[in-house]
Amino acid sequence: MADIEMEIDGKVVSAKVGEMLIKVTDREGVSVPRFCYHKKLSVAASCRMCLVDVEGAPKPQPACSTPVAQGMKVHTQNDKAKASQKAVMEFLLINHPLDCPICDQGGECELQDVAVEYGSDVSHFSEGKRIVSDSDIGALIQTDMTRCIHCTRCVRFGLEIAGMMEMGGTGRGEHLKIEPFLREGIQSELSGNMIDVCPVGALTSKPFRYELRSWQMNSIPSIARHDLVGSNLFVQTYKGKVKRIASADNDWINETWISDRDRFSYEGLTHKNRLLKPQIKVQGQWKQVSWKVALDYAVKGLNSHVLKHKKANQLGGLVSSTATMEELYLLKKILTEVGCDNIDHRLNIKNLDNIITLDSNIKLDALEKIDYALIVGANIRLEQPMINHRLRKATKKGADIDVLNVMEFDFNYPLNAENITAPNKIASTLAGVLKSIMTNNVQELPNYLATIEVDEVANNIAVKLLNSSSSVIILGEHIINNEDASAIANLATIIAQSTNSKTLNLSITANTIAANLVGFVPQNSGMDVNTMLASEMRGFILLDIYPQHDFHHLETVVKAFTPDDTFVISLNSFKDDIITGYSDVILPIASVYETSGTQFNVNNDMQSYTAAVKAPDEVKPAWKILKVMADLLELPGFHYADSTQVLAEISHQPHTKHTHDGHINFTNKHNGIGVIWQNSPYSIDAVLRHSSTLQKTKIGQMNSACMNQASAEILGLSNNDKYLGVPVVITDTVADDCVFINTNHAINIQEQA
Amino acid sequence: MNEVCFKNLTKDQCYSLKTYEASGGYSVWRKILKGQLTPEHIIDELKVSGLRGRGGAGFPTGLKWSFMPRHSDGQKYVVCNSDEGEPGTCKDRDILRFNPHAVIEGMAIGGFVMNASVGYNYIRGEFMAPFYRFEDALKEAYEAGLLGQNINNSSVNFDLYTHLGAGAYICGEETALLESIEGKKGQPRFKPPFPANVGLFGKSTTINNTESFASVPEIINRGGQWFADVGVENSGGCKLFSVSGHVKNPANFEVPMGTPFKDLLKMAGGMRDGAQLKAVIPGGSSTPVLTAEVAMSMTMDYDGIEKAGSMLGAGSVIIMDESTCMVAVLTRLAHFYYDESCGQCTPCREGTGWLYRVLKRIIDGNGKQGDIDLLLGVQDKIMGNTICALGDAAAMPVESFLRNFRKEFEYYIKHGKSMVKG
Repeated sequence: MADIEMEIDGKVVSAKVGEMLIKVTDREGVSVPRFCYHKKLSVAASCRMCLVDVEGAPKPQPACSTPVAQGMKVHTQNDKAKASQKAVMEFLLINHPLDCPICDQGGECELQDVAVEYGSDVSHFSEGKRIVSDSDIGALIQTDMTRCIHCTRCVRFGLEIAGMMEMGGTGRGEHLKIEPFLREGIQSELSGNMIDVCPVGALTSKPFRYELRSWQMNSIPSIARHDLVGSNLFVQTYKGKVKRIASADNDWINETWISDRDRFSYEGLTHKNRLLKPQIKVQGQWKQVSWKVALDYAVKGLNSHVLKHKKANQLGGLVSSTATMEELYLLKKILTEVGCDNIDHRLNIKNLDNIITLDSNIKLDALEKIDYALIVGANIRLEQPMINHRLRKATKKGADIDVLNVMEFDFNYPLNAENITAPNKIASTLAGVLKSIMTNNVQELPNYLATIEVDEVANNIAVKLLNSSSSVIILGEHIINNEDASAIANLATIIAQSTNSKTLNLSITANTIAANLVGFVPQNSGMDVNTMLASEMRGFILLDIYPQHDFHHLETVVKAFTPDDTFVISLNSFKDDIITGYSDVILPIASVYETSGTQFNVNNDMQSYTAAVKAPDEVKPAWKILKVMADLLELPGFHYADSTQVLAEISHQPHTKHTHDGHINFTNKHNGIGVIWQNSPYSIDAVLRHSSTLQKTKIGQMNSACMNQASAEILGLSNNDKYLGVPVVITDTVADDCVFINTNHAINIQEQA
Repeated sequence: MNEVCFKNLTKDQCYSLKTYEASGGYSVWRKILKGQLTPEHIIDELKVSGLRGRGGAGFPTGLKWSFMPRHSDGQKYVVCNSDEGEPGTCKDRDILRFNPHAVIEGMAIGGFVMNASVGYNYIRGEFMAPFYRFEDALKEAYEAGLLGQNINNSSVNFDLYTHLGAGAYICGEETALLESIEGKKGQPRFKPPFPANVGLFGKSTTINNTESFASVPEIINRGGQWFADVGVENSGGCKLFSVSGHVKNPANFEVPMGTPFKDLLKMAGGMRDGAQLKAVIPGGSSTPVLTAEVAMSMTMDYDGIEKAGSMLGAGSVIIMDESTCMVAVLTRLAHFYYDESCGQCTPCREGTGWLYRVLKRIIDGNGKQGDIDLLLGVQDKIMGNTICALGDAAAMPVESFLRNFRKEFEYYIKHGKSMVKG
């Protein structure tokens, strides 16, 4: 679009033809009041607050919906503009309750702010005010619709961003009411953004209700740590406590939205299960002790069980991918210094010889520009809400999306084809796709494709990939324990290379990329996690591990950690009976927002954050604990004043770059029923599991073992029976030979298969 | 009188295809099907005719049709606005009842001119009889091979559908009407973009009033100049006026533009019970009210009525005699707009309720000093600040009633009762 020149309040500015006037005024720093306009939502032009005077137009024009043109002369402050703006302000206030003293939005209310400038001290309105009844729309959002000014931002958010129109306007005229259509209330995994977009106190945070005024809190920029996006957000704190989370803008990462998971997880920080003091187990009895005693005990234990005997090869270090990069690095450094090569972060993978190696080579903001995506093994909407949002945007621009899943999931955009395939058929389907592509490209077929049959599903996907100019193949976490995991990943890589597609690896979680970068995997000939668990070990250092949720087989884990002569140092944030059962020392560590650190997202964007609050009671950041432990072990090179020095040291290290062999080996002959076990979206880490409000939502309550009738018959199960402790749901949306478990419960050691 | 839309009014079964065709109906359409007429010719004739939109805005129809990007790609639509809801208007109802084929032919011609192969006639929800009558006519036209795909092997396509509204006044606003056809809540869209670019289902669309469409066949048949000559300068042809109120013979009259108001009043049988004329709303409830004196010297055409201080609107002439309490009339009108506002934009949603409540208070004898200024202030704040014209429509009567009959309002506020009724 060509550049034009126009005049705003007498100042000549340049703009693009057809651009909306409000974008120009915003860019030029000219203040135009608005309520319904939101930069990421469609234009409604209904609040009329942004009326300005455009020379030549008989009526005042709304800046949000007036395209600019060459030579246009706009007055935002003259009598005509001001009169219109003040008129609209007066209308907005006549039925607004003006109950600011008891309104949660008070102090951060757009209506309040604009009223200061455009409102009048005295109202001419002497009639009774409108009162609107409220309905309960769920655990996350508090409504007070009498305050609603009908800007419809929440309605448009639902329709355009969340992809489900959960709020709508019913009734007309003065009786227009913004409310949910359904009794179930708001279900979207992005619903909390309605709180951010609501300009008034109609929609506010329910967990935060009546807690504090916005001006009492500090707002500290930080990074969300529950998924592969690393959404930018503000942690709002008061007297050392996290009180609320609000989204921050970052067009390359999360635009201006955050998922409910990122918004409400902070509640877990103050859960009564928080570990607050160091404790040691002396003759089978737990004792709360000082840090000095606890760390001495830990170091002494390590020395007496392991180091004294020069048995560092029987020491293991395991971490959860929720750890920060600095923590990962320091633990690795300690273990390396004492001569231990047994380190791993890949806790829930059954067969570490069969792992997914796949690059992520597409940027998040580029995802919305693709014209075709193939999603393999992911319930992407709930697992990675913000990545799903980008794909949804792509579909709105015309992109086609195919899935290859073991079960039908709820997508918030239309799919081109939803292919439901048994877990043991996914590799052969992808091989079929590759065969079809290579045949089309007149390439010589490798041996492993010789016997592959190309079915219609594979052929359709191949055609799509071949005809697309910007496509992406996305691999999700349902594949991690697939018998063909490695083959599936390698096939995806080759297919992508043959069709000039990108790949996106969503089979990993949280800070896995940082764990890989610092190389938190077995060193030299060290043991991997599964080998450690099967070996006789003298000691473990476990960082932020909750075996009931982090491993696929609890019994083995407990057995490995429990022996009397195995000295276990656990660094955790939350109490857990299983942990107290096997540990010898439990060191309470800072959780999210309580420590500084670094997170990597799926795009390898490195984002560091500071601690927003001090950890409670005697809790310390894990990086500090590890540093002191190293000092007590008298290891050299741990003189860090703060975590940024750790980061600086990491950035001078050669990064581990994993290579993949591209070797493809699959048999296509696995028998039996494949079980996919997944923690439900609000149970993927300890903080989330302790966030009480999230757990009350429908997503938080997800707990089912889904299978079709045929599988149920093979397993001898019927509805409401339990399978691996999870209620059985028989549905024909699941593929043959598959049980898909999505649970918010811990693995029960007794009921484990 | 009754030369265009009502020309068959007195004939037996005036609404039938037979009657319509006997008086030259569908001859234009048949010429089009034979390839004897070009879109350019039709637009030229319409421009010459001076036909202006009969729904109320009075935009020249020929010009409007020429705005359609007829050569652009994609589906295009013509839509007929038969959502006749303006208080005082009942002309389109009678066109649909007594001359439905003129609407069909007019829409088909429009479809040809604008390269739109699909048309919708949006009929007001309460118009059940006209709806059925129109549906019957549509069936006749299809059966006679006048509509459909590749009509008479002409390669001309035109399908016409009827859409029944659900009784919301706002759906008479053209973009709210489009939303309603799309199955959404009837709320006006902001403009630009205009329907000619982004209309029904996002496609180029032209919307005309029923009377406008019904006038087209006769204009093309008899020539634009003929039509123009029937009327006066700037107001071509004849126009249907719905005369209601305190007259002996309330009815629709199709008369040449420029007919003096007093003649129209005579046609309607003059004032009922020999009463004195007090006030006239000349173009439907949204147009400013006029005093008897001004009205009696006015001519019924766009310029004539504008000179008198009001608007021709949809040609809905509401006659009020000396027994009328203007405070009561305005309160009733205010309630109408309060009830019919869609609620989308702030000034109309909040302002119409405010206006009504103040008037209701006055009527109930609880008026306060300063209420007249308050009403004028509120209407001024609505005026020109809304998405669609409903806001202006609600505001305009307030201003004109207070300007022309202020004493009655002052009396009512002071004494708590009507100056007229006592």
